[in-house]
Amino acid sequence: MEENEKSICPETPQPQPVQEEKKETAPTDKSTSQPTAAPTPKPAAPRPTPPPASPAKNEIKPEVVTPEELHERLAHLKAEGYSLLENLTGTDWGEEGMGVVYSLTNPETFDMTHVKVIAADKETPYLDSVTDLWDIANFYEREVYDFYGIIFLNHPDLRRLFLREDWVGHPFRKNGYEESNNPEIAETDEPISDLAVKYTLTPDGKLHKEETPLFAEEDYVINLGPQHPSTHGVLHFRTRLEGEIITKIDPHLGYIHRGIEKISEELTYPQTLALTDRMDYLGAMQNRHALCMCIEQALGVEVSDRVQVIRTIMDELQRIDSHLLFFSCLCQDLGATTSFLYGFRDREKVLDIFEETCGGRLILNYNMIGGLAYDIHPNFQRRVKEFIPMMRKNLKEYDDIFTGNVIFQNRSKGVGILSKEQVISFGCTGGTGRASGWHNDLRKHRPYAAYDRVEFKEVVRTEGDSFARYMIRLDEIRESLHIIEQLIDNIPEGKIAEKMKPVLKLPVGSYYSAVEGSRGILGVHIESKGDKMPYRLHYRATGLPLVAVMDTACTGYMIADLIAIGGTIDYVVPDIDR
Amino acid sequence: MFDFSDVTTPLHAFLSRLLGESLAVVTECVLVAVALISIYAVFAMIMIYAERKVCAAFQCRIGPDRVGKWGWLQVISDVLKMMTKEVINLRQTDRFLHRIAPFLVVTASMTTFACLPWNKGAQIIDFNVGVFFFLAVGSVGVVGILLAGWSSNNKYSLIGAMRSGAQIISYELSIGMVMLTMICLTGTMSFSEICQQQADLGWNIFRGHIIALPAFIIYLIAGNAECNRGPFDLPESESELTAGYHTEYSGMDFGYYYLAEYLNIVVCAGIAATIFLGGWAPFVVPGLDGFNEVMSMIPGFVWFVGKTFFVIGLLLWQRWTFPRLRIDQILTLEWKYLIPISMTLLIGMALLVSFGLTF
Amino acid sequence: MEQQGYFAGLMGGIKSLCTGLKVTMREFWTPKITERYPENRKTNKMFERFRGQLILPHNELNEHKCVGCGICQMVCPNDTIVIKSEMREGEDGKKRKVLVEHVYDHGRCMYCMLCVTSCPHGALAFDNEFEYAVFDRTKLVKQLNHPGSKVQPKK
Repeated sequence: MEENEKSICPETPQPQPVQEEKKETAPTDKSTSQPTAAPTPKPAAPRPTPPPASPAKNEIKPEVVTPEELHERLAHLKAEGYSLLENLTGTDWGEEGMGVVYSLTNPETFDMTHVKVIAADKETPYLDSVTDLWDIANFYEREVYDFYGIIFLNHPDLRRLFLREDWVGHPFRKNGYEESNNPEIAETDEPISDLAVKYTLTPDGKLHKEETPLFAEEDYVINLGPQHPSTHGVLHFRTRLEGEIITKIDPHLGYIHRGIEKISEELTYPQTLALTDRMDYLGAMQNRHALCMCIEQALGVEVSDRVQVIRTIMDELQRIDSHLLFFSCLCQDLGATTSFLYGFRDREKVLDIFEETCGGRLILNYNMIGGLAYDIHPNFQRRVKEFIPMMRKNLKEYDDIFTGNVIFQNRSKGVGILSKEQVISFGCTGGTGRASGWHNDLRKHRPYAAYDRVEFKEVVRTEGDSFARYMIRLDEIRESLHIIEQLIDNIPEGKIAEKMKPVLKLPVGSYYSAVEGSRGILGVHIESKGDKMPYRLHYRATGLPLVAVMDTACTGYMIADLIAIGGTIDYVVPDIDR
Repeated sequence: MFDFSDVTTPLHAFLSRLLGESLAVVTECVLVAVALISIYAVFAMIMIYAERKVCAAFQCRIGPDRVGKWGWLQVISDVLKMMTKEVINLRQTDRFLHRIAPFLVVTASMTTFACLPWNKGAQIIDFNVGVFFFLAVGSVGVVGILLAGWSSNNKYSLIGAMRSGAQIISYELSIGMVMLTMICLTGTMSFSEICQQQADLGWNIFRGHIIALPAFIIYLIAGNAECNRGPFDLPESESELTAGYHTEYSGMDFGYYYLAEYLNIVVCAGIAATIFLGGWAPFVVPGLDGFNEVMSMIPGFVWFVGKTFFVIGLLLWQRWTFPRLRIDQILTLEWKYLIPISMTLLIGMALLVSFGLTF
Repeated sequence: MEQQGYFAGLMGGIKSLCTGLKVTMREFWTPKITERYPENRKTNKMFERFRGQLILPHNELNEHKCVGCGICQMVCPNDTIVIKSEMREGEDGKKRKVLVEHVYDHGRCMYCMLCVTSCPHGALAFDNEFEYAVFDRTKLVKQLNHPGSKVQPKK
């Protein structure tokens, strides 16, 4: 505690910039990290915004490769240790053509490198698929295909991911997409094709399309969802069964896709913030934190220490909120309705804390570019301090009623095992990854906000089964309580919002920032052309990898296990269907 | 002690004089049926209300309290809603089997309900192999469930029904085994005689002591599984199979399943009360004559209903505590734990009885 | 899962079940947490920062602070606000923009607070009202300035 007080004390030079710097030390020579900005002690006065010419901390300068070199270069980088495909952003650069930015991460050191490729053909662009290198590329490439129409050659199953199969055109294209081709409100049933599409290039350079059935005629396929009690939202799993044993899952997404990324292209930067809370509604604080951080760093704005600490506390409260909901819903899915309500009872306390300070319970609207919407409420500290011991006591109760229960233990231990290689290949970050022994907590590996000055454990387990995933979450609640406890009495004085210009324009460039969301790495990728609106805003959703891994995790287990696995993998649908 | 035959015998004599023997029997049958159905309905309502309130209390909630004082009219409004709702016939279902299935379920539950000894002399179905009859009729219900799953032509329903079949048939074994254990003690299969014996000699759970207590617990577990109640509610496990075998039912057809489920709990608890807790026999402690006299003043059906609700309370308590089992765990529990234990109990009871170690 | 002995597993299982039963039995007797909503209407107070609906606060003289500049309309991501204003001659003879109607479509609002924070005159606020269910969507379109109201004179 004492150490913390010291480090939080505003006189001491703030270690933040150093930390921020570390974040972007990509080992390639393209690394753009600013030459260590001398860690200036925090002045109270607003610092002048750095000239737009100087590269921002989170600016990325991707290495540009040609489509022919792409696969080879990525395979090489993967062999070099960049074995996590953290993000894949499709973009339409207009005149230059359409292409993709691959953000690769070393899963041990968390260094990042970015590779950019622009497809040669502008009308029917095509690129090599990297599904053979990363499992998650399957879904990411389908998303890009869906929105931009970039065809990935040799992708085993290049269907649309979010939009209806009868959708005309690719809506994220900057030109050539005609909105009137699609009905405003679709009144027909959605056709769901049973055919996996694969494109290959014939020797004479033409695209060849081949279709293979996903399910055989005699397969027993049941539809879990779109309306189903335990898909936690509008999500559809086509599940092939052999008796009670699952042999294949085909997730079908997009039922609540709102096109947040597309809408954001027509909104000013402050306006885009309003949508972040609506992605992963259990990570509203963290989503918004990520976007604010990305914009702030791109603008070169330093937020005050007070803001950093409050954001950290809020992020952790949000994490507790999310994990409590995780616990409750898992109980509900497994039929323990009573524990479900115990979880909700306690979550209510967190929501009250949020509501008092932020004015909202789920949609919080708290972080703003350059600071916070309000200062903390006078009751905030008292309430949080009351909450911490209560939560500790109730965690004991959860252990008694649910964790220790022999039925639950038998249902979760050894079920849905994911290996470390699998979670990295699928990019399953957060608790799901940590349950398989992968140290992937960004709060430790790329510290942001006030995480570098609090002491906490990165909860990691090695079993990789449902029980491990469950325990990770409960232990993380304890760690979050611990973090909050260290900060709650040490919130430094300072401004709660920097003075921002009325019209914000990000300097030209690409920016990427990520935070540790409630269920994994939440990244924000902004392409700016210097306008007041983002040219392209892409979120690295935490949920998409988690749904993508369901097929692997559930195959060979029973239908009742699907519920337990889905519950412990903990995806949130609005986050997937952004 | 109040004997219900004091009412029935004069009534029978009166009706015979009035209508002749055969017509009198027909009239009595109608009277009994009306009484049975009304008690059945009343118990269903009490059960639904009790379950809601009790489960709410376990979950830190209040439960229904909007309709009527403390929400006591809630059940009535629910029943009205259920009865006035449309019964939807789906095009792809096997119409005949689809309609007949709920009736099978409700008939089975009603017939077993008729086996309960309410009071001394107040028993509708009572003959020398009453226990046997109870077990036989009770298993008709599973046919209804299987038919429902099959005829619905729905994959969820089918899985639910298959689970239900596997589960109920397995758990019938240990129910039978436990009952056999107790029959071994009582030496009779007639429910009225079992009760009479307990009124004379003391409750079976005390008479059979170290064997009867585990047998009671096993009966509760297996009986709970027979009722498809949580944590054994896999056939309808709503988080996996939406509603299992009755997914495609609506209106009163669904209502029958609902009714049967609750009444099966009453039956299960009632039989537990009869076989282990003395049925309508009052609680007496040998030697305390004053106390015993007061206890005997309380009419038998009060004792019976009280014990039944005690057992129902136990069932509700565990139902709102535990998570649901998986199908393989259910079968493991039955075949690897309950059956071997109940077999041991049967042998143990036989030894107790033959060595005269029972009270 | 480690292989336990048959009886050890059985006993451990029973013990864990009993622990669970103990917890629920304890909760059975604890005070309940349900909020009896329509009954507690009088005592139920929302947190002061709770965002109910947008209002244009008027003082006792039926004056508000809105000058009809239209910034709120511009910053709203959802086209929730429509401002109708006209140029009128003030008492001092100068032409000024005057608010005619401040129309707020509550059905579109997503409570992002951008209008409130960006208003240069602090004219807008959110109240704590939360019972705003209506039968007709058009009733959610509200005029925020009271009839006959005018701009609060600058002090």
